[in-house]
Amino acid sequence: MHHRPAVEVKDLRYSYPDGTEALRGIDLVIEEGESVGIVGPNGAGKSTLLLHLNGILMGRGEVKIFGMPVIKANLRDIRRRVGLVFQDPDDQLFSPTVFDDVAFGPMNMGLSQQEVESAVKKALRQVGLEGFERRSAFHLSYGQKKRAAIATVLSMNPDLLVLDEPSSNLDPRARRELSELLQSLKITKVIVTHDLPFVFENCERVVVMSEGKVVADGDVFNILSDGKLLEKYGLELPYGYYPLPKETR
Amino acid sequence: MEHAFLDKYSGIDSPIHRLDPRAKVLGTVFLVVICVTTPPTLWKAFAAFFALEITFIVLARLPWRHVLKRWMIVLPFIAAVALVVPFLSKGGGSYNLGPLHLHGRGLLTLWNVAAKSSVSVLAVVLLSSTTPFPDLLKALRKLRAPSLLINLLSFAYRYIFVLVDEAQRMLRARDSRGWNGRWLWQSRVIGNMIASLFLRSYERGERVYAAMMARGYDGEVRLIYELAFGVEEIAFLCLTVLVPLAARILANV
Repeated sequence: MHHRPAVEVKDLRYSYPDGTEALRGIDLVIEEGESVGIVGPNGAGKSTLLLHLNGILMGRGEVKIFGMPVIKANLRDIRRRVGLVFQDPDDQLFSPTVFDDVAFGPMNMGLSQQEVESAVKKALRQVGLEGFERRSAFHLSYGQKKRAAIATVLSMNPDLLVLDEPSSNLDPRARRELSELLQSLKITKVIVTHDLPFVFENCERVVVMSEGKVVADGDVFNILSDGKLLEKYGLELPYGYYPLPKETR
Repeated sequence: MEHAFLDKYSGIDSPIHRLDPRAKVLGTVFLVVICVTTPPTLWKAFAAFFALEITFIVLARLPWRHVLKRWMIVLPFIAAVALVVPFLSKGGGSYNLGPLHLHGRGLLTLWNVAAKSSVSVLAVVLLSSTTPFPDLLKALRKLRAPSLLINLLSFAYRYIFVLVDEAQRMLRARDSRGWNGRWLWQSRVIGNMIASLFLRSYERGERVYAAMMARGYDGEVRLIYELAFGVEEIAFLCLTVLVPLAARILANV
């Protein structure tokens, strides 16, 4: 069978209009079913890379999603298959009610009313927000907003879930709930974050980015236990935290 | 942070709340148009308009306090007219009130303004207190109001409090650093804050647009509209159309 990874990025380069070089030749392959954490200091280009995965930004180089090149003609299909969750849920939840927000994607996909309703119901159940349909996002707690934001892409039944800083600003319980939610979703996941323990818990593989390049890529334990590597790229584990090999946990 | 809500009491259950919002929008518009085009001397017609509204308020089980509070926004306008027009607009006989002369035509103008603004505001209070704002937007969309306008209202409804919160946080941060606003040169700070708030909103706008694109937005807003016109809606529309019309025609005879 022809081999089609979930994400295939070749020599991707991108400069912002002001001339800042955000990506300086990224090569990255993510297989179907993998959970990959992308870490690195601020300004490393992590979020810029995410925005290339569904064609919000298009740089030089090649990006393929499930074998499909990210070009204008494929955007509709790609945006259905790639669920991109932005960092600030207030950006993701822009409709008057939670229902409208979760239904936004499926409606743009042209599903029938019945299909939209059942997709919304299913997505809200997955994130534990049944009964919140009529609420305004403004009245949700921050943790609920984060989960509602994830529901807005789950309703499109994506094959690849891309999350930008999912655990930021969450209290420990909301963070735990989010972790459990992510582990219950059996699809390919890409998580950009500064929260290394969160990566350790939710990903098997870590990609370290710095100054627009991939500088390390490998097994989550090997990378997170490499103190020198972490230090070199301005990363560190919380004080008193020592990762154990996954098998021993 | 706490905020007031536009559509307070819109969540209670009553025959009026259950109506298709389209019927309520059409009924409201019709009542307001008929009312403002009615000559002020047709007292009975105005009595009928008020009676109709009171009936709906009772049916909707809205608290009177709430209705009166919302109605009070017309008071300043009525007061402005009351303080000037009856004394200056001469004609139509005059009445003495101590040392002051009130003129009949001016009084009629005052009544005209007071009655029409009250009927109109009560109609809108009824609409907004019996219809959740998101449903109202959907109804307007369904009635083919300009899409741009509805999008604008929809985003305003969603982000106004986000913006207010952001502004309040900025004020706190400013005050925490000892700002007292006493000197003229400090007014620059306010200018800077407004600029910064504008930039933040602008950037948020770009991020929201990206989030919309990411979920396949193509410039067209689709909507699911579940309610339909039934017996209740037709009855409601008949009432809001026929009663004012009949009142106006009969009051003329």
